[in-house]
This record gives sequence, C-alpha cells and structure tokens, in this order.
Amino acid sequence: MPKKIRRKVSNTVSGSKNFFLGIPRATRNLYKEIPHQVKSFKAWIFTFRGSLTILCIIGTILIPLITMNDYIITILISFLIFSIFAASWDLLAGFTGQVSFGHGVFFGVGAYVAGAFVKMAGLHWFFSMIIGAVVAVLVGLFVGIPCLRLKGPYLALGTMAFSLILFNLFMSGELKDILGSTEGISAIPAMSEDHIAIFFYILIIMIISFIILTIIVKSNIGTIFKAIRDDETAADASGINTTKYKLIAFMISGFFAGIAGGLFALNSRAVNPSVFLALYSFYAIVMVALGGIATISGSVVGAFIYWVVLNELFKPMGTLGTIFLYFPTLISALILIIMIRFADQGILKPALEHLREFYDFLLGR
Amino acid sequence: MGVILEVKNLTKKFGGLTAVNDFSFEIQRGEFVGLIGPNGAGKTTVFNLISGFEKPNSGSIRFDGMDITGLKPFQIVNLGLVRTFQLVRSFHYMSVLDNVSVACLSPRGKKASEKVGLDKYASRILSEVGLIDKARFPPVILPHGDLRRLEIGKAAGTNPQILLLDEPFSGLSYEEQAHIHALIRRLSNEGVTIFITGHVLRELMNLVPRVIAMHQGKFIADGSPQEVANHKLVLEAYLGRGGVIA
Repeated sequence: MPKKIRRKVSNTVSGSKNFFLGIPRATRNLYKEIPHQVKSFKAWIFTFRGSLTILCIIGTILIPLITMNDYIITILISFLIFSIFAASWDLLAGFTGQVSFGHGVFFGVGAYVAGAFVKMAGLHWFFSMIIGAVVAVLVGLFVGIPCLRLKGPYLALGTMAFSLILFNLFMSGELKDILGSTEGISAIPAMSEDHIAIFFYILIIMIISFIILTIIVKSNIGTIFKAIRDDETAADASGINTTKYKLIAFMISGFFAGIAGGLFALNSRAVNPSVFLALYSFYAIVMVALGGIATISGSVVGAFIYWVVLNELFKPMGTLGTIFLYFPTLISALILIIMIRFADQGILKPALEHLREFYDFLLGR
Repeated sequence: MGVILEVKNLTKKFGGLTAVNDFSFEIQRGEFVGLIGPNGAGKTTVFNLISGFEKPNSGSIRFDGMDITGLKPFQIVNLGLVRTFQLVRSFHYMSVLDNVSVACLSPRGKKASEKVGLDKYASRILSEVGLIDKARFPPVILPHGDLRRLEIGKAAGTNPQILLLDEPFSGLSYEEQAHIHALIRRLSNEGVTIFITGHVLRELMNLVPRVIAMHQGKFIADGSPQEVANHKLVLEAYLGRGGVIA
C-alpha cells in the first residue's frame, strides 16, 4: 500500500516532470559523474521514454536485417540523415529562437566538402564528413555574424539569401572547374560495399548526434539558449552575452547540419547545387513542425512521418495509371496540411501522452 | 563606502523630445534611494540609460569608479549593476528555477554560485523570494505578484552590487506589495545598494530614506521623503501650478 501511494504521488506531482528535469541535473556534472551517469542511464531505460526509445532503435535495427530489401534500406538511410538535419534546425530555431530558412547552406557545404575530400583527396569518409562539418561550422560563423542583427522574419530571409547566393555561386558556369557547376561532384566512392554496413554507420552517427544534441539542450548552455529564445532583452539583462551564445548556436547547428549533408553526399554518391535550394531548408522545417518544435527527439518522428510514411506509403499508387501519377504527392500534402492544422505543437507530445496512458494501462496502474 | 553610482549631465533626446535633460546625481554604496516623478517624467529612460539599454546623447555614468557609458547591458550586469523591468520580462516557457538559473549562469552569477553549486544557489534565491514551492512551474501560469518576485530573484541571481528596480509595486495588491517591500528591505540589509522608482509617492515614503525627484526629464529635488514631499517644485509637478494642498 505505501508503495502504491508513493508511485501515485510521484506520478501526479512530479512523475514525468521529475525525470524531465532530472536529466539536466545529471548532465550538468557530466564529466565528474560518469558512474552516476551509467546508473541513471540504467534507470532511464526502464522509464517510459527510455524504453520507448530503445524499442524504436531496436525496431530500426531489425527492419533492414529482417527484410534485407535494398529499397527499404535506402529509404531508412535518408530518413536517418534527414532526422539529423531536422534536429540541427530544431536546435537553432526551436531552442534558440533563430529561425533560419537557409539551413540548406550548412547541409550543402557539408555535402560538397565531404564529397570533395573523399573523391579528390581520397580521404576516409568519416574524416571527410568531419571536415565537411567543421567547414559548415565556419560557414555558420560567416552567416551568423551578419545575420545576428536581424530578428524574426528578417533573419529567416537573411539566411535564405545566403542559401540563394551559394546556389548561384555553385551553379555558375565560370567557376565550373572549381565548383563543378550543375554537375556538382559525382561518382564519390561509396562508404562501404555493403549496403547494410552503410546503414549501420549512419545509424550510429545519428544516435551519437542525437545524444550530443540532447545533452547540449539539457545542459546549462541549453538553458541559456532557451532564455534567448523566450526573451532576448531579459537574457541580456540577466548578464548573458546573447550575441556570443547565438553564434554558438549557429555553429553547433551548422556542425550537425554539415554532418547530415556529408552523409547525404556520401550515401547518394553525388552532390549538385540543388542542395542549396530552399527546398532542403524547408524539409528540415516541415519535419520539425511535424514532430514538434523544441523537442530534439521530435525531429526523428517528423522525419519518419515525412520521409517514410508520407513520401513512400502512397508511392505505389502512382503506378496505377497516368491519372494517378500525382496522387501520392497530393495525398501526402493533404495529410501534411491536416496534421499541421490539428497538431500545432507537433505530433510527438500528444502521441507520447496517449501512449503513456496506454502504457500505464498495460502495467495496471 | 564611497560613491557607487555617479551620473553626470545625462541627456537623452528622442527626436524633438528631450526625455532626460542634464540629469545628475550620486548614490553612495549601501544606500537605499528612490526616484520619483509623475508619469512620463523620464524615470524608466534614466534606468535604460544607466543599464545600457539606451545610449545617452551626452553625459557620463560612472559605476564603482569606472566609466560605463556606452557599455552593453550584459557587460554592465557583469560589473554588478542589475535592473528589473517595469513590465515583467520572464522566460515564459522555462521553469521558474531555470529562470533564475539563467542569471546564475552569467559570468558574474557563475562566480557567486560556483561554491554552492548552481541548483542549490538558484533554489536558495527562490526560497528567499518565496517561490521555492513553484520552482517547477513555468512563469506563464504565475500571478503578477509572483512574477514581480521572480523578476527580483532573477536580478539577485547575478549577485548585484546595485539593484535598479523599475516600479516593482505597480499593479500589485497591498498584500503583494508588502511581500515585495519586505524582500527589498532584506536585500538592502544584506548590503545591496538599491535604486527604486515609483510614481506614487506614498509607496516609497515608508521604504526609502532618500528620494530623488524628477519632472519632464529634469532633476528637481533630492532629500528625505518628507523634504521632497513638501518641496515646492515636487508639489507643482504632481499637482500643477498653484496646487491647493500646501
């Protein structure tokens, strides 16, 4: 009986919240308390969110192993890559409040640099990817400094202008010898002969990226980011150098977008200037909006729904006949509109709540 | 002891309007000073100028012997001069505890909180301002009085030497006012220099030993509340020329 009461109290008063706020406490002292971390990780696995996450990861691992279908693996790989990209946008826009419509800049720079290093210098793909991400960080600095004076929609337009500048630069015929013009970089050596190996490389990179992003968001620096998002003037009045932290956000976000871009180039083995188009920036925005803004994990849900469910589920319909050619796009666009209309906070939060109720019901709580 | 804040010939113009006109005063360390004036006298502009949110057209501000005119707000905060806002500015979607933590994460706040640990330090501030039982709530759901206390807690998180409180009593019930009263008094007793504005004289009368009065951007009186309240120019400013109450 006492046990039951305690559980009830912890559920109603601070059950889920306690855990949610519990992570920053733990991660703030990350370096000092690694044993404690392991312990809290073990505890986390058995919480609702932890078990769900582990379940999802296991599912993602099992699908390609069971089906062994190249097509499914390809779809899953792009889903993983775009979820990193979406999460990097979420860090910048959802957590720091700096809405960027030019996130394709980081993605494209990461893709080009990684592709170039693998193809021209013959470097190992992993190091090329890291170099690409580092260059994307520098570009983030380059974009961030002039754009930081802009706010709200003007910042969005300013960043979009950067992506258009880069698009035209990489398209230009005069610079064909250096930047490759419309052809971009093609025939980039593959990451591995084995399709499934590539999938696992990318899965591991994606999981590590998400762990790092989650830690950043829940650490002190994440608190400062959120403060800047909520009220920049008040953050300034609290003694926070907002310019510095906004630049840091641009750089971190640029790094992960660069990693996503690098993986994209390495996986598709080709890259062309279209990666700089606003389309790629909007992929990230749509995925985050679907999953839920300011929830790093929402990006995965959003990327999954957008890339796997909406994009692929209705594709077979297109083969029925010429009339049906555009049906998949039409239906997925309609569903997208309906989802965003009725879940303005994203799908993750309400879905988690309902799942949690179900979970509690299963455990007989 | 000594002068902690020295404002000299401060002038700020907004287009054709001179909001602050050749304004000078001094505040001693540990003092508890009020700044009064009718609505639109320029009190908030003086605060904005001192805390660096606006740049003066002319004049200088010295804090602790150092010229801080033209420094950025966060730099001034990290020197130990912190202000609160008349319209409460909190981080709406973060917990109350995190609101205070942000201030404790500024370079100056970090120095102060390092020994105790961030969370302990922030919760100590929260219990001082009386919000510890609401530490996990987001400020959006708090009543106005609590937000005012949070505002002071946020300022206290940066470990200030001087605290500029902009109308901390506006829009509060008597009970809430009494809470803030006690809180400010406690801060003052701890050695924090306090500079506080208000447009209602009575609020400040019982609280501060010294009052500076301003009207239409100009300095008009300085002294004890009794002196200032009976000052001819102050009466004129509040009641108009030829006021009936002598």
